[in-house]
Amino acid sequence: MREDLIIGIAGSGGDGVVSAGESLITAAALEGYHAILTKSFGSQIRGGEASCRLRLSTRPVLSPTGPLDVAVVLNWDDFRRFGGELPVQPATMVIYESNTGVLPDKLPLEGVTPVVTFSVPITQLAQTHAGTDKAKNIVALGLLAGWFGIGRESVVAGIRKKFGKKGATVVEGNVRAFQAGLEFAELHPVKEERKMKAPQPGQKMKLLTDGNDMCAAAALFAGCTFFGGYPITPSTEIMQFLDREIWKYGGTVLQAEDEIAGVGAAVGASFAGKKAMTATSGPGMSLKTEMLGLASIAELPLVCINVQRGGPSTGMPTKAEQADLFQAAFSAHGDCLRPVLAPTSVADTFGITVEAFNLAEYYQTPVIVLSDQDIAQRKETIDPIDTAKCQLVERRRPTETELANFARFKLSESGISPISHPGMAGGNYLASGIEHNELGRPTASGEMHAQMNEKRFRKFNSLKNRRDLFVVEGDPNAPIGLVSWGSVAGAALEALRLAQAEGLHAKLLVPKLLYPVAEQVYQDFFASVRRGLFIEQSFQGQLYRLVRMYVDLPPQVKAFAKSGSNPIQPAEVLERLRELAVALQNHANSHQREAVAD
Amino acid sequence: MPTLINAKQSQTEHETGSKEETIMSITESIQAPRFQAGDFKSDLKPIWCPGCGDFGVVTAITRALAAIGRPSHEIAFVSGIGCSSRIPGYTTAYGFNTVHGRALPIAQGIKLANPELLVLVASGDGDGFSIGGGHVAHVIRRNIDLTYIVMDNQIYGLTKGQLSPTSQRGRKTPSSNFGSLEEPVNPLLYVMGYGASFVAQGSPADMAGLAEIIEAGIRFPGFAFINVQSPCVTFGLEEQQLKAQKAKMQSLESLHHDPADRARATELARDYGTKLYTGILYRNPKPPPTYGQGVSERHQALKKQAVPRQEILNRFIPN
Repeated sequence: MREDLIIGIAGSGGDGVVSAGESLITAAALEGYHAILTKSFGSQIRGGEASCRLRLSTRPVLSPTGPLDVAVVLNWDDFRRFGGELPVQPATMVIYESNTGVLPDKLPLEGVTPVVTFSVPITQLAQTHAGTDKAKNIVALGLLAGWFGIGRESVVAGIRKKFGKKGATVVEGNVRAFQAGLEFAELHPVKEERKMKAPQPGQKMKLLTDGNDMCAAAALFAGCTFFGGYPITPSTEIMQFLDREIWKYGGTVLQAEDEIAGVGAAVGASFAGKKAMTATSGPGMSLKTEMLGLASIAELPLVCINVQRGGPSTGMPTKAEQADLFQAAFSAHGDCLRPVLAPTSVADTFGITVEAFNLAEYYQTPVIVLSDQDIAQRKETIDPIDTAKCQLVERRRPTETELANFARFKLSESGISPISHPGMAGGNYLASGIEHNELGRPTASGEMHAQMNEKRFRKFNSLKNRRDLFVVEGDPNAPIGLVSWGSVAGAALEALRLAQAEGLHAKLLVPKLLYPVAEQVYQDFFASVRRGLFIEQSFQGQLYRLVRMYVDLPPQVKAFAKSGSNPIQPAEVLERLRELAVALQNHANSHQREAVAD
Repeated sequence: MPTLINAKQSQTEHETGSKEETIMSITESIQAPRFQAGDFKSDLKPIWCPGCGDFGVVTAITRALAAIGRPSHEIAFVSGIGCSSRIPGYTTAYGFNTVHGRALPIAQGIKLANPELLVLVASGDGDGFSIGGGHVAHVIRRNIDLTYIVMDNQIYGLTKGQLSPTSQRGRKTPSSNFGSLEEPVNPLLYVMGYGASFVAQGSPADMAGLAEIIEAGIRFPGFAFINVQSPCVTFGLEEQQLKAQKAKMQSLESLHHDPADRARATELARDYGTKLYTGILYRNPKPPPTYGQGVSERHQALKKQAVPRQEILNRFIPN
């Protein structure tokens, strides 16, 4: 039996493909499997093609990627439009709608001939048993339950719940459609090795959510009471979640007239003493840039989430890319530093978002969180998170003594000054985008500007020592080193595990703090490294280039960087790792030969 | 939190305190003025040119604030960029001198984050009707309780004399050497058009009148717009200076204008640029609810549904 299963389903907009995926992952979470569900759509607002892929495992799943083990095709044209997102290989079991008229040995796939194929009268079964084509997806769920043993009970329970309001006839019709799928599968058994193992004993029910909802929940947990923003794909769900919840906590969501006003209102709320945030994607970040510079010089806490999509400009709004790192680190005029964090998964989005609020409050600075479309919109099963262990940080308020002679921008040793807010007696000061002295008064003094710049950088010195914002996997002395971040880190880690299983001597560094560059962390990591790769989903390899600005990397450390949309696959990383191992071996051999010749 | 003395809010937002406390507060502020205008002036020396109209505006604002009687730490004064936008620093309020054109969004965030604050916003004509003009419509339709004072001098003074959105057609400046080819924005008509509930115009040439208008704007429950004809002594035209204004200006009161008459107010607003009316052009006799009132009601209605923050993730338990 198998421990890992990747299912891809594609059809037209009305086929309920995504809904089938949601039912499956809900069943998986209830049964204690680890799972990731990603969805992909054509560019049409409604209708058009839709697909989802579900990765299911008895072990933690690190990335949603990899070739399909099972392909469910409701319509071949729709399926083929997803190309590299739903890769089929000879071992893929293909289940397809009979009424497409395709013969099992003539599948319209280029360069690949799957061995196991099933032509199933899905529409006909739906019509016969549920009386409607709409139950096609339910038939498909029945087929998957029958062949792979996932969700026999929980899917039926889900059907009863979902269709309960529509009356007993609809519910029973759907249950019959599910049974029909199940029976079809049972009449056409597959080999035992294709079936899915039960979850490991002791695996409890898991939480299930996506990165955007997780981000919003984390913001609420951190005490955020103000959100200002503007709808933009793929970040909008953060605002929508907060709008459902924040009012209950005395907070406010302002859907502003534009991106600038959204972040501006958040800056204002922070000035007024509240924990505030905004969320957007690349084009919105471009517009918010001036306001981020203002928050930097006025030393105001602010959390800004950028759910990255393909760029530049409108780019690819529904696809993930990691090409906004330069923008996050550098897009402001003047000398200015703001922390940039990146979560690696839906689960990680919780801790990273809370950390962003903590850093913002502690350092009195904007903090950018680089999520991406993949993490933001994929559903993931999550082991319970112990929120009691999460520390929350509040901004440094002035003491009574400090208020007596208040210096808002005091040139303290740490660079962090006491911060007041309107309503606090004695704390009155002028916040400004113009350079100011310790009292907040505008200044044109070059000396003061230099001192204030130095202070605004000095305050981040301690941040670079936060080793807990970096993860190192594998043998610390390995000669092969990988660096990866964000959603791609999962694929890199999976590749590392595969490489280790082959006996390759490699390790992986995953920075969650991307900027400022923690020089010492990279120097320590690369001390043993003779061949290395930065694995990134951008054309330029932006982290690779950013780190090289600050750290002298060994000459054989390169970037494996790919433009977004088609996610980086663990298999292709593994291939690169093997090449590095061969190169290292050849190098060692040539040295040996030289030594012998001497 | 102690009840704040805020006549304006107590008239409209009942959640700020009990009736008894409110009445006491009003009585107190009427009987014994707590503050003088000087209490609201900072010791920072303005960078403005001698004779600048903005000196008069800061004086009028501090007089209005003294009349309102709220302590300076309960006041947030937000501005954008331009000569006029230096003004928060010349008061003792919490000030925020922000970026060009964005004072309104920032001020709205402040007011929404803490509805008990008195929030003033100052801009110039460029800040308010050019680079930041897009925000005006939205603050009006939200009716967030701010007082927005635009110091309109029909020129860009800080950058040394270029065209502003309120400059007359044909005006020659270093950026319009052969004369402006554009019609000016009419700030009064602009805000009337978007449905502003309080619209007034004043001039430092009538200091007492200006202070009264600003006070009335602060007391108005909702968004209040005040256009101030504040002349630029360095780059302004002769006919825009205080002396010329004094000769030209007509108080709306003397014209027997009823500020409740929206149609007439809109007619009068059309005279911007040719006539100089001072006073309250329009005051909605039935002010619409403020955004803050809606927020407050929603908070009251929903607060019981809040789960403890530590349990927020429980909503992700599948079912």
